[in-house]
Amino acid sequence: MSEPLLSVREIHTYYGDSYVLQGVSLDLHEGRIVAILGRNGMGKTTLIRSVAGLTPPREGDVIFKGRSLRGQPPYAIAQQGMAIVPQGRRIFRSLSVRENLLLPTSRLARPSGAAAADGQRKVWDLDEVLKEFPQLAERIDHPGAALSGGEQQMLAVGRALMANPDLILMDEPSEGLAPRLVQQIEEIMKNVREHGHAILLVEQNFALAMAVADFIYVVASGRFVFHGTPQELWGAAEILDHHLGVSGGGP
Amino acid sequence: MPKAARILLALVVLAAAVLLPRVAGPFWLGLVTQMYVFGLLALSVDLLLGHAGLFSLCHASFFAVSAYTTAILQVRHAVPTALAAPAGILAGTILGLVFGLAVRTRGVYFILITIAFGYVVWGVAHRWSSFTGGDNGVTNVPFPALGTLRVESPTEYYYLVLAVLVLCTIGYRVLVASPFGLTLRGIKASETRMRSLGYHSDLHLYVAFVVSAALASLAGVLYVYYNRFVNPVAASFPISVEVALMAIVGGTGTIVGPFIGSGIILGLRNWVSSFFELYASVMGLVFIVVVLWAPDGVVGLVVRLWVRAVKAGTR
Repeated sequence: MSEPLLSVREIHTYYGDSYVLQGVSLDLHEGRIVAILGRNGMGKTTLIRSVAGLTPPREGDVIFKGRSLRGQPPYAIAQQGMAIVPQGRRIFRSLSVRENLLLPTSRLARPSGAAAADGQRKVWDLDEVLKEFPQLAERIDHPGAALSGGEQQMLAVGRALMANPDLILMDEPSEGLAPRLVQQIEEIMKNVREHGHAILLVEQNFALAMAVADFIYVVASGRFVFHGTPQELWGAAEILDHHLGVSGGGP
Repeated sequence: MPKAARILLALVVLAAAVLLPRVAGPFWLGLVTQMYVFGLLALSVDLLLGHAGLFSLCHASFFAVSAYTTAILQVRHAVPTALAAPAGILAGTILGLVFGLAVRTRGVYFILITIAFGYVVWGVAHRWSSFTGGDNGVTNVPFPALGTLRVESPTEYYYLVLAVLVLCTIGYRVLVASPFGLTLRGIKASETRMRSLGYHSDLHLYVAFVVSAALASLAGVLYVYYNRFVNPVAASFPISVEVALMAIVGGTGTIVGPFIGSGIILGLRNWVSSFFELYASVMGLVFIVVVLWAPDGVVGLVVRLWVRAVKAGTR
């Protein structure tokens, strides 16, 4: 197989004094979805923050498109083609929907010019994103704070797409959403993968992760206790029972 | 408000400003000129406060350094306005390039470091008397002149200030509506999110700081030709606080807010100090009232009442 788009190598990350990630490694290839499953407080968000440079690992390395991200500030990492959908629908509440969506496309954020698609990948612009999220089109000039929780999540996803990233980091996108909206998130993720983007998904929602992921890691207390395909995870009864609170038995 | 109404309102205000010298006596004309000058200084503070979310307390420094530079060149070295005024703005802006290092900090540390910067400049103005004239400052600054075009009366100077002010507010409007302005508001809303979108936030804040210092320096030049002298009061901490107050009282993040705030505070100062010595205490009370009951300033209050009236009307 070709070189992975993202390769996390034995990273150890501390959050203040607490030792959160205790040596985790993973690979993610172009056009794939990798999900990290685990309960609260196991280090899922810290993993996302480590990759994005917001909480740099103290040891180990993160390789993105063949280059080490060590020592690089978050903005420089983002400029290389990474976008985050942060936990808790963190949009810009005081800015309008349009401003939220346009922020990632500004030349001030991408001084080298958009490192967008190499011809084969779909280019996301305002029209395309609004086609994908019609509920945002209706509220284009409303402030972000006026949107419902679900709309805010769509806005956070749409904002990430506007950057036309190679890799999207999604931190619990289904959190607090109605089942219908989780369904929409699932379809969007599959659609985005279809267009060649890779997604690193961190989730507690077992069903969503199993439905979209090509490969799954299960994290417990800062280490991976399982890695494999969703199929293989169904077979790992002990992992399901012990770390995820799901009783096994096949899909 | 629709765009047409905004433009109409701006034109009405401008017409009133142009006609003012016909009705106002020298006292009122002087007060309004001061209001323009300090409004411009408050506007420069508000670029950081209202748009980028940085509370600077050293803007009196840029204001004073440019005022001193212009005054010293013009009075002691007989340098014409055409050079002395730009030199003043340049000096204040260069100081902004240095003080801009404060953007490496945030929150209370940013406030503290700007206060410290402000005291350095005030100390120099106050103590280095062989150069700055000490407490007496630099006096006998003439009216500005450009070749044979000379300002010869307070009324003519009023029009000059008004013209500069109109140009500045238009430029400011363009700046805050630009992608750069949006970047600043994004940083104010959430710096972390902006960084993870690819924005080098420190760099953008630094540029905003320097632009803000340049605007404050321009206000300093307008001030010294209005006042006809400059002393260390111009560099003092209370000036930095007062102009921040003007922006807050008027309404941060708007263009008219700082000017309204400047009018209110200068007006109050003139009125209150005519019969009450503890003027500073009254200003403190005004600030408390605004923060508690109208945190968005006068502009925010008017908008809120307007929205309420419209809602009541459509019901």
